[in-house]
Formats: sequence, structure tokens, C-alpha cells
Amino acid sequence: MAVATGVLGSLAAWLVVMHRFPGRDIFAWALALPLAAPAFAVAYAYADLFDVAGDLRIWMRAALGFDLPFEMRTIPGAAFVLTCAFYPYVYLAMRAAFVNQSAHALEAARALGCSPAQAFLRVAMPLARPALAAGVALAVMETLADYGAVQFLAVQTLTTGVVRAWFVFGSLTSAAQFALPLLGAAALLLWIERWGRGGRGYESANARWRPLPVTALSGAAGALAALFCLALITLGLLLPAGWLAAAFLDVSPDWPRLIEAGGNSLTLAVAGAVVTVALAAALALGASRVPLLARLASLGYSTPGAVMAIGLLVPAAVVWRLAPGAAQGFGAGLIMLIYAYAARLMAAALEPIDAGLSRVTPSMVQAARTLGRSAPGAAWSIQLPIARGALFTAGLVVFIDILKELPATLILRPFNFDTLAVIADNYARDERLAQAGWPALLIVLIALPAVIWLTRKIAASRPGAPA
Amino acid sequence: MTNVAALTVQAVSKAYGTRAAVVAADLTLQRGRITCLLGPSGCGKSTLLRLIAGLEVPDAGEIFADGRRLSWGGDAIAPEDRGIGLVFQDYALFPHMTALQNVAFGLRDMPARQRRDRAQAMLEAVQLGARGGAWPHALSGGEQQRVALARALARAPSILLLDEPFSGLDAHLKGEVRLSLTEALRAAGATVLVVTHDAREALLMADDLALMHGGRIIQSGAPRDCYLDPVSPDAARLLGEVNLIPGQVRGGLAHTPFGAVTATRCADGPAVVMVRPEGLRLAEAGAPAHVAQVRFGGGYHEVQLTAEGQRAHAHVAGSAPQAGQTVMVRIEPDLARVFPAGS
Repeated sequence: MAVATGVLGSLAAWLVVMHRFPGRDIFAWALALPLAAPAFAVAYAYADLFDVAGDLRIWMRAALGFDLPFEMRTIPGAAFVLTCAFYPYVYLAMRAAFVNQSAHALEAARALGCSPAQAFLRVAMPLARPALAAGVALAVMETLADYGAVQFLAVQTLTTGVVRAWFVFGSLTSAAQFALPLLGAAALLLWIERWGRGGRGYESANARWRPLPVTALSGAAGALAALFCLALITLGLLLPAGWLAAAFLDVSPDWPRLIEAGGNSLTLAVAGAVVTVALAAALALGASRVPLLARLASLGYSTPGAVMAIGLLVPAAVVWRLAPGAAQGFGAGLIMLIYAYAARLMAAALEPIDAGLSRVTPSMVQAARTLGRSAPGAAWSIQLPIARGALFTAGLVVFIDILKELPATLILRPFNFDTLAVIADNYARDERLAQAGWPALLIVLIALPAVIWLTRKIAASRPGAPA
Repeated sequence: MTNVAALTVQAVSKAYGTRAAVVAADLTLQRGRITCLLGPSGCGKSTLLRLIAGLEVPDAGEIFADGRRLSWGGDAIAPEDRGIGLVFQDYALFPHMTALQNVAFGLRDMPARQRRDRAQAMLEAVQLGARGGAWPHALSGGEQQRVALARALARAPSILLLDEPFSGLDAHLKGEVRLSLTEALRAAGATVLVVTHDAREALLMADDLALMHGGRIIQSGAPRDCYLDPVSPDAARLLGEVNLIPGQVRGGLAHTPFGAVTATRCADGPAVVMVRPEGLRLAEAGAPAHVAQVRFGGGYHEVQLTAEGQRAHAHVAGSAPQAGQTVMVRIEPDLARVFPAGS
């Protein structure tokens, strides 16, 4: 899975950044669109599409006289699904790395006698190696944290172990036993990812940005490149979403339940985004004084949602005991849940906010001070307005992630509080996949505009240009 | 003329970790005058500026303005409460505000209308009255600097600090910017401290000059006095090209391969003679020197000379000797100083 995301994501990024072929400008952002599809939705679609007793296989057996030699509900099947869902993490990291590379380094390699292919292999790839490590680490982290997809595909992972230990056996201790090695693996991945980021020193910060040398792919090569990109998007988003729509939209859903869950999902995602961004902004502004603080807060990102939720159950129990009333319990549960989201997604929000704040030079803040503003006043009138776009971006990232989040929501949500992800999972577990199609598709529909906005913005961003 | 101190820095020190940035610095700014603080990069002059602005807290020493203590060892009044303006090296214009909004930023206490009028007037004072609606990135470097200046002056600060005002500018713009800057500062009647590493601009702009080296203020005084009578070879080097020629003092005369010069302040023994390039003159009679190289430098020729294994360079106006010639040279006493060896 890690290898597959690495190869596919890097190849796509290399094609899009360094070549010109039909549809390149669209693929540049569309390749990240599968981020809108939760992994469990992709799993539902493929499991149904390739079901042994499904229409496709029955038709193939009858018409072609042979059966497909694979099964979705296996480890390779799950790896396929997760690769489709998570390759965009590698793609985005590698694309950023290639775009940020100084054209001068590549041109210097050419002047020193390398062919374009050699320049790519000997200069561009080694320079992008940290980004590759970071992107793959992110994809693997998401895999570790995934619950909905692997659960549905009947693959046992540590995360399903954590959730099952809690729900089936009601045992916090055995849940914690699953959670500990998971946390260890996640910490290792976080270290790899940070190491990859440390490699930012490879980028020349003050080299003037110039367009990278772009190779035009014509004819068959161009068609092949376009086909490859199209295939990735199809496998990651178009096919699963399309299949879910085609197969299940004629099923009339439980509308009241769906609408309530949709409202809950939206409310949680918006509230979570606002809280997380506010905390992250405060943290980013304070981080210049206490650098360790931001690093500590970022630790949550590697913590799988299930582990985070289990860890929060103990303080949650205290809160529930203090506020025994149903209403207070409900509120306390929601606060716990938003806290879990904020803790887990803090790093994801911090990154764009830090980038946005880095556009404010120290001298701008100091200028505001010498012009009569206090330190908080300067933050309010200078730093936050300049980083406005970054704050919005951070909010969208958190919003999308909360929409798709499942395990932490399952464990921490107040009684009878459903989100779209939760009811999709409920239906799927009850073998009522047809009913799960609607909520899964709704998530894609709500997340898609946000993802499009984000990826277009990312695709348009270049070093040196105002973001 | 009576000089009134607008700001006094007394024995101020500041260290970052084990690295001392400013060491027991003393500095006085006279009211209504332009003081230039000249030093090489990394000598601590920007730190001293930041200490005066209140952006840094001194480890020891005190800073007073108008009888009010602004900073003292370990603590300081916040920068926003000092009434000291600062124009940053990178101008630090706020990119999300127009030129006019930038200038109005510091005028929060005024009603909106008055605020806008005052900001507009400040922009007009720096000849940018028509550019108020422009965004900072649409302004040229010189225009950005003038907006930054108007922004700092709008609050009528008692003291204005300028950090390296010439560093971001093309060489041919420097003179122009210096003139318009000096004019605007004189018009505002401001007390000004300019930090720079550009000796030429400092000499031309300063009413008073302070030389900084290795975290210390090594000399202060009128620009001419500093140039002609530097207290040490370091001070001499700060203000322009200089020849440092080893020699021997005997009986009140310092003898070098390029000639002798009176040395009243030095005891007999080894010494270093400092000569400005224009103070090494070709003459009818003097010490013989070999012409190693001649380069045309615009208003003068730069002539590389060797004598008895020593090298020196001279700026020669008018007709220049040929390379390979032997010429007679002498040292102009007004442009030379003798220091004890090892200073």
C-alpha cells in the first residue's frame, strides 16, 4: 500500500509538474479530488461492485465464462481501496516538492552535462526524497487510523481492535492494549514525516521563482499521461462515487434520520473547524515564544482517532459524573468530541496558518508596536488579517477531515447523536449497504466543493506569489 | 549654539547568549539634528537601534529621553509607549493596507476624518499625495521608503530612528534619496538617528557621527573630525579606504618606506601610519616607490605602489604615472595619523 501510493502519487506529480499534455491544468488539481471521498465510501463501492454475488461478476461469468481472480474482502483488496483513497497525500506532497524546486538547480544539472531524464533522476528526485517520505508517512498514518473501510472489508487492524474492544467487550483496558502499539507505530511515522519536513532545507528559499522546464508530451505519450491521471481520479473518486450513485440512489432513504445526521455532521464540522482554527491561530502566534508548544500540539496528528477517543474516555467519564443530567451529558459529550477533533487536527490546521503567518515579517509586527499598538493589538490588526486566507484554508482542511472522521465519533458521540459517517457505518455493518450509499454520497457531495476550492488554490500556489 | 540632548544612552549592554552585541555603549542625540551611527555589519548598531526603540531590553545601562527613563537593566517601557518612530530596513509596510491606510495606522486616537486628512498631509509632505490608494507592492522601493517615513512621522515622534535607509536602493538612487530624505527630516524638525554601514552616505548626511565597532561606540563627533582624526585604525577603516603602513617613530617623526610624518602623540618605537589614499601624493622630491599597477577610477587614478616590500595605494588626480615607473611620493600630514604598533 505504502509502495503503491508512493509510486502512483510521485508519478502523477512528476507528470503534472514537468510535462505538458492534454488536460494537464485540470489534472493538476483534480488529482487531489479523491480526498473528498471517505475511505469507507470507496470500500462500500468496490466491495459491492466486485461482490462475488454482484451483478458484474454474474454477468461476466455468464457472458465471458470466467471469473475475476480477486476478492475485495481480503488484505490486497483493502490495500487497493486505501491506495485509491490515500494516494492524493503523496501526490500533493510530491507536487509541492517539484514545484518548489529551483529551476536553477535543474538548469545547472543540464549545464553540467545531464540529459533531462538524468537531471530528473539525479537532481529532482533526490531533492524530493524528504517530501516522498512525508507524503507516504501521511498516507500510512491515515491507513493506521482508518476504521470504516477495513472494518467493512473484514480486515483486522489495530484500529478495528481498539473499537471492538470498547464496543463489544466494553473493556477500556483491552482497548488500550490495542491502542498502545498503534500509538507507537504512529509516533514512528510522525518522526519520519517530521524528518521529511526537516528536509525543507533542501529548497532554496530565496531563488527567484521561474517556470520549471516543461517537456511537451505529444501524441501517444500525451494520451498515455492523460489516461494515467484520468485512471487515478476514476479509481479514487469517479468510479466509487458513480457506482454508489448508480446502485443505491433509487433506494429511498430514511429521510428524517439522514437530514438530522447531515445537520449534525455540518454543525460538528463547522464548530470543530472554528474551534481548531482559533486554537491553532493562538498557538501559532504564541509559538514564536514557546516553540515546544506547537510541536507538542502537533503530536495529536499522528494519533489515530480511535486512540484519541479511548484516551479521552477517562476524562469524559469524570465529566459525565460531574454533569449527570441528560442535557449536560449531551453537551459535555459534544465538547469532548470537538476537543478530540481539535487535538487530532491541530497540526493540519497549524501548517497553513504557519505558512500564512510567515508572510508577516517580524519587522511588520515591530512597526505596529512602534506605531502605538500593544502586542495583542498588533496580532489583531496585522498578523491575523494578513493570514486571513490561510485561516480559511486551515478551516476547510479541518472541515473536510471531520466530515469523514469515523472512529473517534463512534466512541465519543453522545447517545443517539448520529453523523453521516456514523449512520453509513451502521447501515454497512447491518449489511444494509444500499442504505449506506446515501449518507456516504452526501459526505462526498458536501466535501467536494471544499476540496475543489482547496486543491485549486494549492495548484495555483507558487513560491514567491502571494497565496 | 546650545545643544540639548533629546536622548541619552548610558553604558548600555546587551548580549545574546554568550555573544555580546552591544558593550557599554554611550550615545547622545541632539535635538533637531541628524546623528549617523556607522559601523560594519554585525557590529551591534542595529541592536542598539532596537534597544532605543524598545524592541529589545538591555542587560545593563540606561536610556533616557526628555528626562524620562525609557530602559534600564533588565526592563524597559514597551515600544508603543515611547513616542519613538522607527523606519525599518525593509520598510515593513503592511501589505493588506493601502499607502494611506499605512500612514493612518498609528493615528488611532484621532476621529476618522481628521485621521485621513493628517495621513494625506503626511503623504503630500513626501511627494506621494497622489499615491494614497496604491498598495505597497505597487510602489517602487524609493516610494515605499517614503511611505514608511510618512507613517513614522505621522505620529510626530520625539525621536525618529532609521535602519539602513540606503541598503535596498540602487547606487545611482542613493544620492537622490539621501537629499529628499534629509529635506523631509529637516522640514519635520525631527531628532534623527540613522544607522548605516555606508560611510559615504553617513558622512554626507550626518550632523553628528558615531562610529561603532565590536559592540562599542569607539568615536563620536563631527563627520570631518572623525574622518581626519580617527582615534584608532578601526575608526579610520570605518570611514573609507585607508593604507596602514608599518613604520618606526624616532624623535617625533614616524618613518615609513613612503616617507615620514610627524608623530607628536607617539613614543619612539614601532608604529602604524594611517594614510588615506588621497593623502599619498606624487611629488618632485620624496621617497622612491615602484608603480605596480594603475587603474582608472573615474575622478582619479588608483595607483598601486610598492617600496621596500611594503604596499600602499594612492588616489592620484590629474595625470597618472605608468606601471613599471619609479616615482617620488610623500605623505600629506593632514590626511595621516600615527598610532602605536598593535593598536
